[in-house]
Amino acid sequence: MELTISRAEILAILPAAILFLTGLMQLFVDLGKSSSDTRSEKTHLAMIGITGILLGFSALFIQGIGASAGVLYAGAMTDDLFGRMGAGVIMAAALFCTLMAGGYLASSGNNKAEFHSLVCFSAGAMVLLCQATNLVSIFVAIETLSLAVYVLAGYFKNHQSGSEGAFKYFVLGAFSSGFLLLGMAFIYGLSGGALALTDIASSNAQSDPLFAVGILMILIGFAFKIGAVPFHSWVPDVYQAAPALSVGWMAVAVKAASFFALCRFLLFVDGGQILTQILSAIAIVTMLLGNLAALNQQSLKRMMAYSGIAHSGYLLIPLVLATAGGGASVGASIPFYMFAYAATTLAAFGVISAISVATDRDDVNDLNGLARNRPLLAIGLTIALISLAGIPLTAGFIGKLMIFRDAVQGGYLLLALVGIIGSLISIYYYLRPVVAMWFKEPKDSFELIPASWGVQFSVVVCGFATIALGLFPGWLVDLSKQSVRAILG
Amino acid sequence: MIPEIQSFNLPVLSLVVLTPLLCSLLLCFADRNNKALIRQIALMGSFLTLLFSLLMVGNFDSSIGTMQLEEQHNWIESLGISYHLGVDGISVLLVLLTCFTMPFVLLSTWSSITDRVKEFHIAILLLQTGMVGAFVALDLILFYLFYEAMLIPMYLIIGIWGGKERIYAALKFFIFTMVGSLFMFLAILYLYHHTGTFDLPVLLERLRTTNPLDSGQQFWLFLAFTISFAIKVPLFPLHTWLPDAHVQAPTAGSVVLAGVLLKMGTYGILRFAIPLFPEAAFDLQSTMCWLSIIGIVFGACMALVQNDIKKLIAYSSVSHLGFVVLACFIPNLESLTGAILQMVNHGLSTGMLFLMIGIIYERRHTRELADYGGICKVVPLFSIFFLIAVLSSIGLPGLNGFVGEFLLLYGVFNSVPLWGFLASSGVVLGALYMLNMVKKFLFGPIVHEQNRSISDLNTRELIYLIPFVVMMVWLGLYPAPFIKLVQPTLTLYVEMLQN
Repeated sequence: MELTISRAEILAILPAAILFLTGLMQLFVDLGKSSSDTRSEKTHLAMIGITGILLGFSALFIQGIGASAGVLYAGAMTDDLFGRMGAGVIMAAALFCTLMAGGYLASSGNNKAEFHSLVCFSAGAMVLLCQATNLVSIFVAIETLSLAVYVLAGYFKNHQSGSEGAFKYFVLGAFSSGFLLLGMAFIYGLSGGALALTDIASSNAQSDPLFAVGILMILIGFAFKIGAVPFHSWVPDVYQAAPALSVGWMAVAVKAASFFALCRFLLFVDGGQILTQILSAIAIVTMLLGNLAALNQQSLKRMMAYSGIAHSGYLLIPLVLATAGGGASVGASIPFYMFAYAATTLAAFGVISAISVATDRDDVNDLNGLARNRPLLAIGLTIALISLAGIPLTAGFIGKLMIFRDAVQGGYLLLALVGIIGSLISIYYYLRPVVAMWFKEPKDSFELIPASWGVQFSVVVCGFATIALGLFPGWLVDLSKQSVRAILG
Repeated sequence: MIPEIQSFNLPVLSLVVLTPLLCSLLLCFADRNNKALIRQIALMGSFLTLLFSLLMVGNFDSSIGTMQLEEQHNWIESLGISYHLGVDGISVLLVLLTCFTMPFVLLSTWSSITDRVKEFHIAILLLQTGMVGAFVALDLILFYLFYEAMLIPMYLIIGIWGGKERIYAALKFFIFTMVGSLFMFLAILYLYHHTGTFDLPVLLERLRTTNPLDSGQQFWLFLAFTISFAIKVPLFPLHTWLPDAHVQAPTAGSVVLAGVLLKMGTYGILRFAIPLFPEAAFDLQSTMCWLSIIGIVFGACMALVQNDIKKLIAYSSVSHLGFVVLACFIPNLESLTGAILQMVNHGLSTGMLFLMIGIIYERRHTRELADYGGICKVVPLFSIFFLIAVLSSIGLPGLNGFVGEFLLLYGVFNSVPLWGFLASSGVVLGALYMLNMVKKFLFGPIVHEQNRSISDLNTRELIYLIPFVVMMVWLGLYPAPFIKLVQPTLTLYVEMLQN
């Protein structure tokens, strides 16, 4: 095999490489610092992170969007619009995480470079996952990002529950990786040693029943990452135990990367009727259970965990349609929805991180009177929750509109109906924080909730983006449609 | 009535819809401590909107019955959603009613809303944009956007500035409305799947010609739309959120809720549910009519036994809007004209009643009938105005209520005499509970000493009450210009339904 690397290959890996380098640089810069320094905001770490992420982001625009670069690295990855959209979501999320991290970590006395660089490392792996087109690169990317996220989940070493949650996440995650790998082995064997998705698609192994078993196993591996029922039980526990900002990062980026990879994978392989049925069953149960379980949560993080599960359920609908032969167009809702979900969820976790710093808890009642205390945060969180509930004029509504419209058009009225019922249930629990923020007065003496400029800025920008995408979603919808068409070339 | 102003080529409807929105954006930058400035900006904005709505009526050609002043722009092309506005005889009066009510509602809040003034005015102006937008939107998704956009401000208005049980009432209001509208959303998506468009005129055309629905589809879609609107109206037995919401809402919230928001339901039935699914509407006609009649009698009976004045008015709304729904399902010119006039009349009379209850509540901080009595000697001016509003609500000849009620019942009698007969009992009951309330509220001996020192209406209150009285008398004595605006559209509407 030749060892020359083409320009297209360099360009393809550039965003991820920049992210990895940024992470390394943050580590080196912080090397000599004493441990007593962990209470300062360390703006320089954030500056490095922001610069790196913005560089990586601008790398996405080189060579013009939409140019399909064909097979790169012997089919290990590609550089299409779909991958770039995924990378865009992830880097946007990383940017806001970095912005919010300094203040959050400093006020909890744990500001070390590890957090910043782990965000960058996992972001790099996620970008690779969005671009991965063969089984090995998918697996390696998933493992790399998971390792970084395991550490982030247990970042507060002195919190017992935090370590417990991280350990749980790690054990279950390793278990699911086993499934993933086993499924890949099945497919590899049955398709006569094909690793690249295109080769698998063209092999004649697809009719073999064992092939479907292989796909199912891979699906289980992904179901764990996205928190689909019945592989969701870790989500609430880990979310509750982990630092708020790590959770925000997990909720947005891990989910986005997994969905992008899963969408690409499912568009290539043909698991047959049975796969469609299993997926739609999972989607229905996930939507219902996520929304129902969120109803009675007192902890905001647990509520967001179950709400995240429910949103995974909605996002499974386009995948069901894709496996049912709906063609690439039905997957178009995934990139759009991920952008909408990223903006709203990051805004929500920004506020939760501020609350949890102030009160060391994340109870719904801790939001009481936030509208008087921190009006900007309250407005941002309100917009985020309204968008998550899918109420019009927000990005979340357009996302749901796309998903449900495709479901109705594909003849899956039941999925749309369950989705609607799920959204209906969700309104109740999304409104509880709104009630607390706006309708209730703070309990004790008036104390300004500490919120760093980074948190305030991020929450406001995310809230603004949510509304802007709700009012003018056209360009992003078009881009999403193009990107999904680009997958199949 | 209003001089024709055809020379301008302004996007009048957009101006009416967007002025409150822009005004609320402007308020975002206002200093929250300068309450007077905030109130003045909002008031100016709402007056400007009223002016634009008058301009709209000026440009409205009352001799043709089709959509007018249409504006259509691509908005979200990739999803097939366009910014399509238009107004016809069904909506023109409702837009006017909304824009007419708002400045006076704002004026009434100057003394009652003193906390978070800035947020209140932003919310209420956003609410106005939602209401007007829903009346003029001709794209199903655009309509749905405006329809839902009303929800959040109203929810906040009840929840923040409401009474003791406000959180419960706000949540109940939100969830009830949302249940209905989400199923309507699904139905809209299904219609798009069936016809490939969200645009109402195109959709109607395709349903009639190229893509007709079979009766099963019609039934379910009609149900999805109608339940949503029936909750908004509210039609018996989906009315239970209304008394809570009305009682807990601040005065301004109640006025907007009763005056305009409830009409969204009857408007939706007239504009969407019946024309889109005429066969299903015909099949379910008697069910809907019986439900309306039950609502008329039930609401009136409930109003008879209320001790809380606001709750009494709330139940009277259930009864009054029952008439409107009944008439909507009887497709003849008289009943439909009556229905539209009654929507406006109810907005005026009930709106004014709520305003006046707000005035007296500010002075005595109670809404219990037993706490009043005999105040007509203390506050003669207040009593006169209150009596006018009550008489208009009852339908006394010479005031607005009579014209609408008469036309409406005449139309119903012509179609199905039995329904007309049963519905008329609501008029009798209406007189009974209203006059009974007036007796306990205004007349009789003064039992409570505090009532001797209530102050009468002040100038500001007179300023916002007099326009209501003027409109009531105008509509009662000379309703012809208003009927003229409505009838060409309704003639076409009835023809369309009879085919």
